[in-house]
Order: sequence, then C-alpha cells, then structure tokens
Amino acid sequence: MKTKLSLLSAALLTASLSLYPAVSQAAIPQAVEGQAVPSLAPMLERTTPAVVSVAVSGTQVSKQRVPDVFRYFFGPNAPQEQVQERPFRGLGSGVIIDADKGYIVTNNHVINGADDIQIGLHDGREIKAKLIGADKESDIALLQIDAKNLTEINQTDSDNIRVGDFAVAIGNPFGLGQTVTSGIVSALGRSGLGIEMLENFIQTDAAINSGNSGGALVNLNGELIGINTAIVAPNGGNVGIGFAIPANMVHNLVDQIIEHGEVRRGVLGVSGRDLDNELAKAFGLDTQHGGFVNEVMPKSAADKAGLKAGDIIVSLNGRSIKSFQELRAKVATMGAGAKVEFGIIRDGDKKTIKATLGEADKVEAEAGNVHPMLQGATLEDNKKGIEITEIAQGSPAAMSGLQKGDLIVGLNRTKISSLKALKEALEDQQSSVALKILRDNNLLYLVLR
Amino acid sequence: MNLKDTCIYIVKAVVFGLIMAAIFLVITSILPNHSLNTGLSSVHSGGAELSFAKAVRRAAPAVANIYSLSIDQRNPLNASSLQGLGSGVIMSKDGYVLTNYHVIKKADEIVIALQDGRKFTSEVVGSDPVTDLAVLKIEGDNLPIVPFNLNNPAQVGDVVLAIGNPYNIGQTITQGIISATGRNGLSSGYLDFLQTDAAINAGNSGGALIDTNGELIGINTAAFQVGGDNGGNGISFAIPIKLAHSIMDKLITHGRVIRGALGISGEPINQVVAQILNLPDMKGVLVTGVDPDGPAARAGLAPRDVITQYNGEDVPGVEMLLDRIAETPPGTRMDMVIIREGKTQTFPVIIAEKINEPE
Repeated sequence: MKTKLSLLSAALLTASLSLYPAVSQAAIPQAVEGQAVPSLAPMLERTTPAVVSVAVSGTQVSKQRVPDVFRYFFGPNAPQEQVQERPFRGLGSGVIIDADKGYIVTNNHVINGADDIQIGLHDGREIKAKLIGADKESDIALLQIDAKNLTEINQTDSDNIRVGDFAVAIGNPFGLGQTVTSGIVSALGRSGLGIEMLENFIQTDAAINSGNSGGALVNLNGELIGINTAIVAPNGGNVGIGFAIPANMVHNLVDQIIEHGEVRRGVLGVSGRDLDNELAKAFGLDTQHGGFVNEVMPKSAADKAGLKAGDIIVSLNGRSIKSFQELRAKVATMGAGAKVEFGIIRDGDKKTIKATLGEADKVEAEAGNVHPMLQGATLEDNKKGIEITEIAQGSPAAMSGLQKGDLIVGLNRTKISSLKALKEALEDQQSSVALKILRDNNLLYLVLR
Repeated sequence: MNLKDTCIYIVKAVVFGLIMAAIFLVITSILPNHSLNTGLSSVHSGGAELSFAKAVRRAAPAVANIYSLSIDQRNPLNASSLQGLGSGVIMSKDGYVLTNYHVIKKADEIVIALQDGRKFTSEVVGSDPVTDLAVLKIEGDNLPIVPFNLNNPAQVGDVVLAIGNPYNIGQTITQGIISATGRNGLSSGYLDFLQTDAAINAGNSGGALIDTNGELIGINTAAFQVGGDNGGNGISFAIPIKLAHSIMDKLITHGRVIRGALGISGEPINQVVAQILNLPDMKGVLVTGVDPDGPAARAGLAPRDVITQYNGEDVPGVEMLLDRIAETPPGTRMDMVIIREGKTQTFPVIIAEKINEPE
C-alpha cells in the first residue's frame, strides 16, 4: 500500500516537474481546430524597425531644344536650348544594415539626383541622410545617418534561398506608411529583363509597388534576402511579379562603397553567352545551365587565370551559375581584386580555376581630342555605342546639335561601337562627317563641319 | 512512531520522485522534441519545413513554355513570327501536353521549350474551344511529368501554387489559395472551374496549378480575367484536373470532344412563367427557341414547352440539362417529358452531335 502510494506520488511529482518545460514551449498559442496557424507578427516586431522610409527632394534639370521656327524669328543668336528647372519629390524605402554606423541601403533610382534625403524611422524620428556612394548599373545606393538606438536587419546567405520559400516585403508603397506583404520566391537568377545593366534578381509574388523600392525582402526569420527594386507592371501596379537584388550582391557592393566611396567593378575579361540546348549538344554536355565563354580578352584576369574560349563556367565560388548574365552580374558586383573560384567544364571534364578579378578601366574621353567639333562633350563607352554623358552649353558640340544622352552608333556609313573605333575613323576624315545618333530610340544623322 | 513512519514515507516518495523526474528530464532532452515543436516553432528554428520548394521541385520541370508561331501570309518567306505565348503541362511519359486552346489556336507552328533547355516542335492532337483546352504531343526521352491525383478535388482555402511563364520572363511560381470552386457559366455555358488569388498573368495560360504536395489540381487560364487581361487583381481561374483529364482522354481518342446536341435554347422557370403556364412547381427548363434543323425540331418540340424529365431523370435546371445532353452520345434515342399547355407529354428525340461554332 505504502509502496503503491509512494510510486503514485513520485509519478505525480515527475509529471508536475516535467510539465514545466512543456508549458514554456507552448507560450504562443497558434492553433485553429488543432492545426498550427503561423503568424508573421513576432518576426515582424523584430524586423520592421530596420526598414525606413526615404523621402527625397531636388531639382530636375530638363533641356529642350528651341524649335527651328523660333530661331527663324530670333535670328542666329537665339539660344540653342531652353533649360527648365523643376523641383521634384520622391518616396522610397531603405534598410538599416549597420545600426552603429547608421548605414542604410536603398536603390540608386530612389535617391538619384536628390539634393536632400530625409530618413523616416519606424519610431517616428526624421533624420537627414548623407549619400556615401551609389552604383547606377546595379541600382544600389548607400546612405548614412547620425542617430542612436537604431535597429539593423539580420543578415543571411541569400544564396541559400530556394524557389518556393516564403518571402516578406517590407516598405513604404505609395507613401502610405510601412506596409508588409507576403508571398513566395517565384524564381531565382532572373536576368535579361532590361531593367538594370546588371541583373540577377530574386523574383517574388509578394506585392511590391511604387515606393517599395529600396525596401527589404526578408525570409521567415526576418533575415534580409534582397532589396526590392522593380516590378513588371502592365497597368502601373503590382501583378505579382516583383524583383529584388539579392542580399549577397548588395553586401559586395556596399563593402566596396564603404571602402572606396564607389563601386570598383570587377572585370573578368570574357565574352560569352548562355549555354543552351544546341551548344550543349554540340559540345556533348549533359548539363544545360552555365555561361559559355566565346572569347577571352588577352592579358585579362580570365587570360591570366587560364580560362579559354569554349570553357563552360558552371559555378562561381561553389554556387551554380545558370546563365551568362547571372555570371556577368555576379562578377561585376564582386569588386576589383576579388579572388574567385570558377567551376568549369572543358572538353567534357570538370575543373576548377582560380582568378583575381581585374579593375574596369572606365573609357571616358575629353571629346575635343577626338574631333574639334565634339569639344565640350564628355563621351563614354556604352554597351550600344558611345554615350554623351555631359555637354557644356554653348560649346562646339552643343552648337552642332548634340544633346546629353545621345548615343553615337555610327560614322558616315560605318557602324561604330567604341570610342577607340570612333577616334580611328575620325582620323581619316578631315572634312565633314555625319554622325549617326540614337536619340530617344530615334536614329538621326548630325553633320560635323 | 507514527510520525517517523510518515516522515520516512514522505522522504522516500520525494527522493524517488526527484530521481524519476531527473531521469525523465534527461531522456526528454536527449530525444528530439517532436511533439512539442509544431508549426510556428519551425519558423523560429530555421524554417526549412515552411517552404514550397519540395512541391516546386516535383512539378515545375513538367511545366513547359509554349510559343505559337504564325507565318505571315503576305510574305510567307519571312521568318515565322511569335504569335502566342503560353505554358503547358507534360502529362505523360509518351509526351502528351495539356494547354489552353487559345494559346495555340492561330498557330502555324508550335514550339515547346522545356525547363532543361530542350525545344520541341509539336503537333496539335486535338482541341476543345468549349473548355479552352488543347492537347499537344512531343517526342522525347526522359520527359518530366507532373504528378496528379484525380480523386483529390481542390477545396476552398487550400494553398496552391501557379507555375507558368508570365510575359515570357521565364518560369515563375506564384502562391495563393483556392478562392472558390464551382460549376458556373464563364464563357462556355457549362464549365467547371477553380478560382484562385495566385497571380496569373498573360503567358501563364495553360500552365499548372498545383497543391502543396506538388500534385496538379488545375490548368490555369488567363483568358477569363475579370476586368481585362491585365491580371494582378487576385481573381484568376483554372480548369480542374478531373475535367481537364477527361477532355484530354477524349481528345487523344477522337481528336475532338464529341458532345450531344438537342438544338434548343432554354431558360430556368421563374414564378411568373410558372403561373402563366400553369405549372405545378418551378422545376424544369422553359424552351425559348428551337433550331429548325435540330433534333428537337424533328421531334416536335416548340417554344413555350417545359422540359421536366430527360431520360427518365428530373431536370432541375438549365445547366444540368445542357450538361446531360452534352454527355449523351450522338445518335442515342432519349425520352423527354414535357409540359405543353398544362398537359404532360413524352417525346422521343435522337440526339445529334454538337458542332463547335468557329470563333
């Protein structure tokens, strides 16, 4: 009897003691009819203070050519162009990535051209931000604010996410105030969209709208996986197709901006294309994903590392590469001097090749040296042609009718694709030459005399 | 003595209990805490389970991009130009692909691009404008196929994933729930449908709607967008797998879907009609028009007749009647019970084949 009783009380004591941890684990009730219902609220409480609103203002300078009919009235001394200055305001989002230093990441297109950048914190504070640096081609900018008690976003390796994982967008759509939308990762390594020069997007169906730009895309742990940047919007608003710059790419860019104040683009020195079915068949490969190397530039980083035309690059630092565009975006954002390891397939064998990325030499020229009538224009090599990035008012170049943003694509009847080629072609032409210009998607000829 | 006994008893019990509790705690800390960690806990501890990655991996390779090309009639030597864009689902190892009819309807040539990079030109096995479905066939080795279960109908509230190629940006997975299911007239009179809030856009047409196990539950169709084809408003439609699969079987066997036709148009009975025609109840279908060359005219049916029975079964409504007629093989003799001028009569009719009106 006593033994039985003592066993019973022992069991009771056991039960009461072991109940304790069970109770503590069930602290958050989350069940509907016996099924767990997850809520994002606990994660969001920790994460949302790291996402800020970015309000910008500035002056937009637009130049308009004076129509010929006015020049007829005002004579040859009439101004060539009319300069209009219009104040503008813009709204976007940003993410605090370093609470101690006050670093905030956003999109370049959010702050581009702004004279004043105001950060709105989650707790209501408004603080003026300083632009540390920006990269137009990848659309990333780094700001800094001087403030205490900031919350920074948690970091993770964004290469680990998979299609089908939950994704949560936090931002400031339409200036409504902080808004959280949820969805999943719809696709990875998205490129070829023509939104940015360098594309390697995470695609999501979480609702992203105007004003979300620069905001955070986080996983269910509240860790940053991307910076929301763009959407496909046939009718202006969200249709469930949004794009974010992967966090790993952002970190590479931010590190360079902190170190140099700008992005020192890494250069490998190869040209190539996506590996497709035909190429794979022709080379007898069983893989369909990768970047096919067409050509290796002599003395480039690729050349020094021993890459050869015909190699197929299938991985970069152990992460698989799906397309040449993805490779291009990753390499370009890694920074000059970065040490990388490529997985390649050569003659059917797998190999690894180590390379140190070179630095992009920005081909920019004072145009007066190219042709006297181009004096006053700043020319820069662009993918499609030679871009006029700057033009001095009243200069010979402006008098010839050239405008900022014009793209020189040809000379007389020859196609020109680089500054070097333009220089060489102009050397033989002493008299009048006709420049073929691409302006607002229209082709036109301008004659230099 | 009594006190001592009691003390010993208490001490024994406490010591024994403490030992047992210690053992229990040690064991539970060693064993993985399955029963205590449910649902949300996994959100905090890595979240690996809370992802649809597994379902995507099962189904996504079997969803192909479909490009329909048309040859310029005025300049036939010109290269084929892209005319239509959509998605398709590989249903079987022998290469049958389900897609929407409207994706391929004007195509002179159809190219099917798999996610592994393979491209096939394809022939149309058969198409059915009524349900907006078409079956294509490709010849290839080791084709990825989509898993499906015909006896697992989708229910309102189920989490679903849409897989397709919206705006030709490449394969895209979007997530939502089943918003509604039903048998309702959309564009074709009698169509079963699933409604979902997963983002479905132009180019998603013919793609897969899957459940969280990766099993196909419907064929997405962006043709029935509420408020134009801009999408993104959270109201999209899919054709349920059971209907799509039965249509596919018919298209493979006959090259078309053979439906019965009666040659009438009808309306449901309302209170006013019931009163005017002196009907006992509101069951049945009021005949409002009779095709002069159709089986109903041959059998002697006329407007103002009320059909109350078809093949010995009561007729509850217009959709049900049209559905039963469609499912009757042409050439079959059927008895119909009608009420004409208050009198119940029986008419035998021979069902004809429904001819799809060219669009």
